[in-house]
Amino acid sequence: MITITIANNFKPREENIIEKTRETNDVYTIELASDSNSLPGQFYELSVLGIGEAPISVASSSTERLKFTVRNIGHVTSKIFEQDRIGVRGPYGNHWPFEKYDRILAIAGGIGVPPIRSLIHELKGKKELWVIYGARTPSDLVYKYEFDQWKNLSNLILTVDRGDENWNGKVGLVTKFISEIPNLKNMAAFLIGPPIMMENSVKELLKYEVSPENIYLSLERRMECGFGVCGHCNVGHFYVCEDGPIFKYSEVRDLPEVFL
Amino acid sequence: MIYSLNGHEIAELFERIKKDFETYGTIDVQGDVIFSKIEKYHELKIARSDKPPKEFLIGRNENVLTLPEPSKKAVFGVMSCDLKGFYIMDRQIYGKDPFYTIKRENTIFVNYVCTEPCKTGFCSAFGGPLMDDYQIQVVNYEKDKYVVYVNDKYDSYFKGFKQASNDEISKVENLMKRFNEKQEKHNVEGIENRIKWNSKLWDKYAKICIQCGACNYSCPTCYCFDLNDVGDERIREWDSCILAGFTRTSAGNPRENLSSRLRQRFYHKFVYYKKSRGVYLCTGCNRCTDDCPVDIEIKEVIDHDYDSE
Repeated sequence: MITITIANNFKPREENIIEKTRETNDVYTIELASDSNSLPGQFYELSVLGIGEAPISVASSSTERLKFTVRNIGHVTSKIFEQDRIGVRGPYGNHWPFEKYDRILAIAGGIGVPPIRSLIHELKGKKELWVIYGARTPSDLVYKYEFDQWKNLSNLILTVDRGDENWNGKVGLVTKFISEIPNLKNMAAFLIGPPIMMENSVKELLKYEVSPENIYLSLERRMECGFGVCGHCNVGHFYVCEDGPIFKYSEVRDLPEVFL
Repeated sequence: MIYSLNGHEIAELFERIKKDFETYGTIDVQGDVIFSKIEKYHELKIARSDKPPKEFLIGRNENVLTLPEPSKKAVFGVMSCDLKGFYIMDRQIYGKDPFYTIKRENTIFVNYVCTEPCKTGFCSAFGGPLMDDYQIQVVNYEKDKYVVYVNDKYDSYFKGFKQASNDEISKVENLMKRFNEKQEKHNVEGIENRIKWNSKLWDKYAKICIQCGACNYSCPTCYCFDLNDVGDERIREWDSCILAGFTRTSAGNPRENLSSRLRQRFYHKFVYYKKSRGVYLCTGCNRCTDDCPVDIEIKEVIDHDYDSE
């Protein structure tokens, strides 16, 4: 008998949810008991046995407890908030290459923001970090209770597509505010959000001569396994789960499905 | 090592292997060729199985939450085109999928090399039926005469059998040369540079495809699977990139159109896998076409004159 020791990487560990926060009417944050053990940009597979699994980005920094911010939209994500314990496996994928850069612009659209929250807390103000975070309406902004802290750790630009009577902040798509960032040319840009937002942000960044080598996109696909065997998350010859989820723009710009 | 065996010795080899392995093989059931447990070598029907043998390594209805006790299996009668599927898949999933890896390590595939082209296969586009990678490879080159190529790992099962002579080996080589000359030609080399994203083929196929997924199921290289919870089990089921749900997420579906899914299947086979893993994700078995209810032809994808579009 040939015995090879190989762990069952499909099997999640069970974790207690120790804190639940309602962010908006369809978004919530959960905090687990264990340490984050992951870097900004990576993801986990969260599961409710009998329902299924869903790939969710890490919202915590490496020194916090494991935290996820989830939109209640599918059959798994609508059940997680009700649980005391959930299945967790990961972390999977690569992380924002923040180590390589001194000046970083992070642009987050909608529910793409958790990996940027993770980044803000990871960097702890030690680098020049600009953050543009856009949501549809003020009530769609998550992490509102942290914005004061974020302002200490980064140069924060919050914007909404449509304001309301209580909104005194900026109104407009995230792309509108890229030109406000000083000396863009020698910055790295980390982008996450709806494909159209990333596509237009890239166009704008290139206008200001940000190098395609220094623009990074986080892609979203149906990652079922998380480690390159189930075949669902390809973009061109890459699998998002094992080659990404974060890709250098220069490596994916010729792939026709990148902004789908 | 390369051995020379007669029919009696092949049956003896089967018995020796049976001491250590559960033995499986292709059998004929009222005209259907299927894999089944067999106890005697003569039960074996040397003919290509209707379905590829991938179920030996990629389970269906398999609970991925519990690793099984590995069981040692020897599978006789696997055709080279099907065996090749495993060596191709290995490049993406071996060592990563624990179920596949454990089964791969505990299974011997005894492949049989065709000496005459089959009706529709085009394996010579990928090197022909004599494999460079094998565990135990059998060529029945003349009546009652076999040349058997053996991976060192299994050499102990061949004690006392004589080595093949140079003459016998060159007979096999000539047979293979003739095979490759005789089989209809399809030039797959360089297709990754010829094929076109906006080819009219994809729309043409989308008009007739009924999205049954048979092409994926019958393919010896298609390894994609889906996970679905059923009670307290998480079940692996083969999946098909032709089905709309394959890429659907909460954010939408990047391949909503059937033509984009059909294109994906052929791009994965002829462009992406070549780029990421160095080989085409195809062995030329032609099952996808043989089993397609609307006659979408993989050979057309290879032969099509994209430049004229």
